[in-house]
Amino acid sequence: MTRRKPVNLAKAARTTTFYILVVGVAAAMLLPVYFIVSLSFLSVREAYSYPLPLVPALETHFKLTPGKRGYLVSVYDRIEGAYESVLDTKELQKMSEYMRYQLATPVTIEDLEQQVARLETEDEVYFTRRRNLLANYQTFFGVAGYNAVPALIRSLQICALTIVISLSIGGMAGYAFARYVFKGKDLLKFSVLFVRMYPGVAIALPMIKILANMNFYDRPIGLSLVYSIGNIALTVWITASIFMGIPESLEEAAQVFGASKARAFLRITLPLALPGLAAAAMYAFLGAWNETVAAIILTTFNPTFSVVVFQTVLGSVGQVNLAAAGGMAMALPAVIFTFFIRRYIHQMWGGVTV
Amino acid sequence: MTAIARRNAKTWRKLGKKAVPYLLVLPVALYYAAFWLRPVLISVINSFTSDAGRFTLENFSLVLREESFLPALRNTTVFVVFSVTLEFLGALSLALLINRKFKGAGFFLFLAMIPMALPAAAVGAMWITGFTAHGWINSLLQYVGLLAEGGKIYWLVGSHAKLMTLMIIIDAWQVIPSVMIILLAGLQNIPPEVQEAGYVFGGNYRQVLRKITLPLLAPTIQTAMILRLISAIQVWLIVVLILGYSRMPFLVERVVYYTKEVDLLYIANEMAGGYTMIVAIVVSLAALFYLRVSGAFKRARE
Repeated sequence: MTRRKPVNLAKAARTTTFYILVVGVAAAMLLPVYFIVSLSFLSVREAYSYPLPLVPALETHFKLTPGKRGYLVSVYDRIEGAYESVLDTKELQKMSEYMRYQLATPVTIEDLEQQVARLETEDEVYFTRRRNLLANYQTFFGVAGYNAVPALIRSLQICALTIVISLSIGGMAGYAFARYVFKGKDLLKFSVLFVRMYPGVAIALPMIKILANMNFYDRPIGLSLVYSIGNIALTVWITASIFMGIPESLEEAAQVFGASKARAFLRITLPLALPGLAAAAMYAFLGAWNETVAAIILTTFNPTFSVVVFQTVLGSVGQVNLAAAGGMAMALPAVIFTFFIRRYIHQMWGGVTV
Repeated sequence: MTAIARRNAKTWRKLGKKAVPYLLVLPVALYYAAFWLRPVLISVINSFTSDAGRFTLENFSLVLREESFLPALRNTTVFVVFSVTLEFLGALSLALLINRKFKGAGFFLFLAMIPMALPAAAVGAMWITGFTAHGWINSLLQYVGLLAEGGKIYWLVGSHAKLMTLMIIIDAWQVIPSVMIILLAGLQNIPPEVQEAGYVFGGNYRQVLRKITLPLLAPTIQTAMILRLISAIQVWLIVVLILGYSRMPFLVERVVYYTKEVDLLYIANEMAGGYTMIVAIVVSLAALFYLRVSGAFKRARE
């Protein structure tokens, strides 16, 4: 005979409250993110309507009627629930451009000619066209004034250089930290703290001159040298914990079988440490990718991607949706990399076991 | 081969073995010397020298005489005190509440990392589009019925205290989840038996929290808070993105303002240098003060 377990009301209530809390916190964290994602897909017209639509429209409904100056174009407004006239013109070229840039709906001139021809027999012409959801991104990357594409390439170069510098220099020290006892070990450990104690801006200012002397000013290598300062310390921490997790006896065993120390390291330890090293690399990537302060100070004509986004946001009075698209383009790689290294971030802070 | 030569070779090999860790650490030391210590020294020396190359305190007196210095110092202090306190309490209570295994915990922790992963410019874009009068926050309030149709709240207009509160909330939004992750990691490292023992001896939740959990968590709290303190003093980007330069001066905001915005001003360099040094001093003092008050030195000696 099976008996139903008695329902523990107090426990059920506690569990429910707990999950409500978890969902509440998650919502508070995600709501702003949702809105900026949504905003980055809105057309200019939508982005300046109020209240803002909760989801971007997938298509635009047009209505054409004879107008005073030519043809009156009206657009269906989802919030008002009615058609609103937006443009009155005879020139189809202008009409097509308006639709492409203000409504993010590409409509060709031939298409418009056909619709206009229908006005000969009908009083009102309705038609619906698919929206170009990526319009803001295309504008952001496509308009030369923003210089987004060269800046993006520069940022990637900086990230790659930062990874190479901090992983090679920091990784060696991390290995020493994990395997040897030596003087100054504590100093190395606390370097994470003390290199941050002196403000980043304070380093960046004299770096202008130092980098200029080395002929590195306003070039990717210069910034990556600055970014590596903080990243090396972090890499030492991360790689030390990785190498500590790989038993030294494995290396010794290889040496017993006649491998040299270096060979044992290359063939045994390094492959085992590879996933952890990849995480350290992504960490360095995130640091270099997100950094804005030193990038603003240490670039003049060759800004990084973060500086370009910063400037777009700063001057965003006339282009909220573009600022959102820029912000998203910046956030996406950061979030993806965080997803890959989430386990290591937990580990670094003492191993949250989930 | 003579015996002496053999012995020599042996000592050399021994020495060589001893030198390995130092050789491995040497690049880090050189790097820090070239790209950390050197700029630090240059900036310290620069802030105390005049154009003629003599010792001077002129840079500092220039900064102290600037009318936005006191507001900047005040704003920074208020921001640091309130934001660090709020972030600590918020993150600690969240971490204590969530400190158990539950379904979807891994995913939840990943979500908590998103605000931390977002670049400052993206966070700025997020909130500037939210706080404008026709932004998404007002729109959302309208959809849920908290705001009359067509009504607007002018978030970015109004008193100093209101704007400061907004800045603190925005900073907390980004920081609380990351501090929570750190504290949660510390909490989960405390063996459950220790807390159970506290209950067995008749302690209630608050007593166990105060006498057992928090003391054991102290090193973690300390690491998290010192990192927060250091970066809270250096706040500027989010302020500039939302309010623009000079509207609400902060110490580091002044540095960037003088280096990038008015860099052609004849005293721009002096101002930036003076402010930089003041920030460096404030950060170091705050960090040392915090370490002292939180008893880190005592623990290190034990």
